[in-house]
Amino acid sequence: MKDQVAVIGVGCTKFGDLFETSYEELICEAAFEAFADAGIDPAEIQAAYLGTYMPGPSGGKAAVSLGDALRLYDIPITRVENYCATGTDAFRNGCLAIESGACDVVLVLGAEKLKDRGGRGLPRFGHPLLAKGNSAPGLFALAANRYMHTFGMGREMLAKVAVKNHYNGARNPKAHLRMEVTEEKVLKAPIIASPFGLFDCCPTTDGAAAAILCRADLAKRFRSDYIPVKGYGLAVTTGRPFFDPTFDYLGFRSTQMAARQAYKMAGATPRDISFAEVHDCFTWTEISNTEDLGFCEKGQGGSLVAEGRTSLSGDIPINPSGGLKSFGHPIGASGVRMIYECVKQLQGQGGERQVKNPKLGLAHNVGGPGAVSCVIILGNN
Amino acid sequence: MFAIEKPLPRANEDTAPYWAAAHKGELRLQRCDDCGHVRFPPSALCPRCLSQHHEWVKLSGRATVFSWIVVHQSQHPAFNGDTPYNVTIVELEEGPRMHTHIVDCPNDQIRIGMPVEVVFDRVNDEVTLPKFRPAKSK
Repeated sequence: MKDQVAVIGVGCTKFGDLFETSYEELICEAAFEAFADAGIDPAEIQAAYLGTYMPGPSGGKAAVSLGDALRLYDIPITRVENYCATGTDAFRNGCLAIESGACDVVLVLGAEKLKDRGGRGLPRFGHPLLAKGNSAPGLFALAANRYMHTFGMGREMLAKVAVKNHYNGARNPKAHLRMEVTEEKVLKAPIIASPFGLFDCCPTTDGAAAAILCRADLAKRFRSDYIPVKGYGLAVTTGRPFFDPTFDYLGFRSTQMAARQAYKMAGATPRDISFAEVHDCFTWTEISNTEDLGFCEKGQGGSLVAEGRTSLSGDIPINPSGGLKSFGHPIGASGVRMIYECVKQLQGQGGERQVKNPKLGLAHNVGGPGAVSCVIILGNN
Repeated sequence: MFAIEKPLPRANEDTAPYWAAAHKGELRLQRCDDCGHVRFPPSALCPRCLSQHHEWVKLSGRATVFSWIVVHQSQHPAFNGDTPYNVTIVELEEGPRMHTHIVDCPNDQIRIGMPVEVVFDRVNDEVTLPKFRPAKSK
């Protein structure tokens, strides 16, 4: 519900290949940065939500890792897992806890350590054909190819998203892949699952991010530039969209639905959004998501990036952080990391990648084969 | 060293008639008795109207390519030697979409909308995989 919850502190680890840092250490680093940012004593946290796809080695299918890492015992801690929408959904659950009146102050933390877990492994399905294409790049590429055929788009358009997001990420000290890339480099990279080459895909990343939420009417106690939550939405659609004869492969209905919920709660339209952190697990995903979020008409997402409108100086900057593409994608951490970026931008602390006079920022995840999406809208105070 | 074999389908209660028909060289799917919807993958209930009544009907085997990808990085070690290979979604003449593999056609000649027809790849004495090739018959 609009303006009832405020973000009073955020934290984020450096994202990357963090073989030397344990899952619990990642949690501590993100949480203590957020505690310091909010100027809060950890003892004031009344409930916590851990967004994670693969919990720490000692954490089981539970929220125990978070309790152990921060010695947060004797308060409710809940693990949230919802495909790649895990982080934003954890944040949404934190909002609900406060709006219900159950808590005044809540910690939301997303953490993931993927690099040393052999996460790729064997495919889940023993089906001889599904097994052949059942990868994240494979599934999204199926939709991308149909989209590109329908709108007459080539791989150069996808490459522009990678170039833009790497440009932003290179200016972000916490990003995983801090280098700029050229369109030529993107196009010449090895193909993973056509039409996606290596630079059309986000990396596999370790990292954690945290946000501290409190009742909006108490937020002033902590800081004057707190960030009110304006709206949120979460929608689930079928987990097997590719067999659904009504699915056109041109975008994801879960994103459209979650966005509609969030805009309605915020009393805003896509035009009111100053910038957005949009789920760009693949270059094409950003293009279709910008359409599904309402920033342009279906089929126009390519022009949006080609005309520079989604760059840092454009009228709707998309992924000023560098996005999943360059910042990295530790699944459960990503959504909370997007909140981190939105908060920093709205507070004018975006540094080299600061967007101009932001009023409303939007964070968006889409997970699985487009099956679940979560959208969060934050404002400045 | 041990070899990792390609996974083969294990028929269950829902899918057994599909695999049995394929082994006989027929493409059969369930058609709902109540709403007429023809569905893939096989399932106990109609995804459109939730009816459990259905008939396994023989399909024409004619389809068009709806979308496809070419996999260069295999997700399963048994397929490493096959790369680059295509994974394709075809839309059957009767409506359903299914995952398949296009044969008798170079990957770079696969096109969306291309007419294809079913062929049966007999893997062993028990398993046959329906695949598709560019349509020859009309």
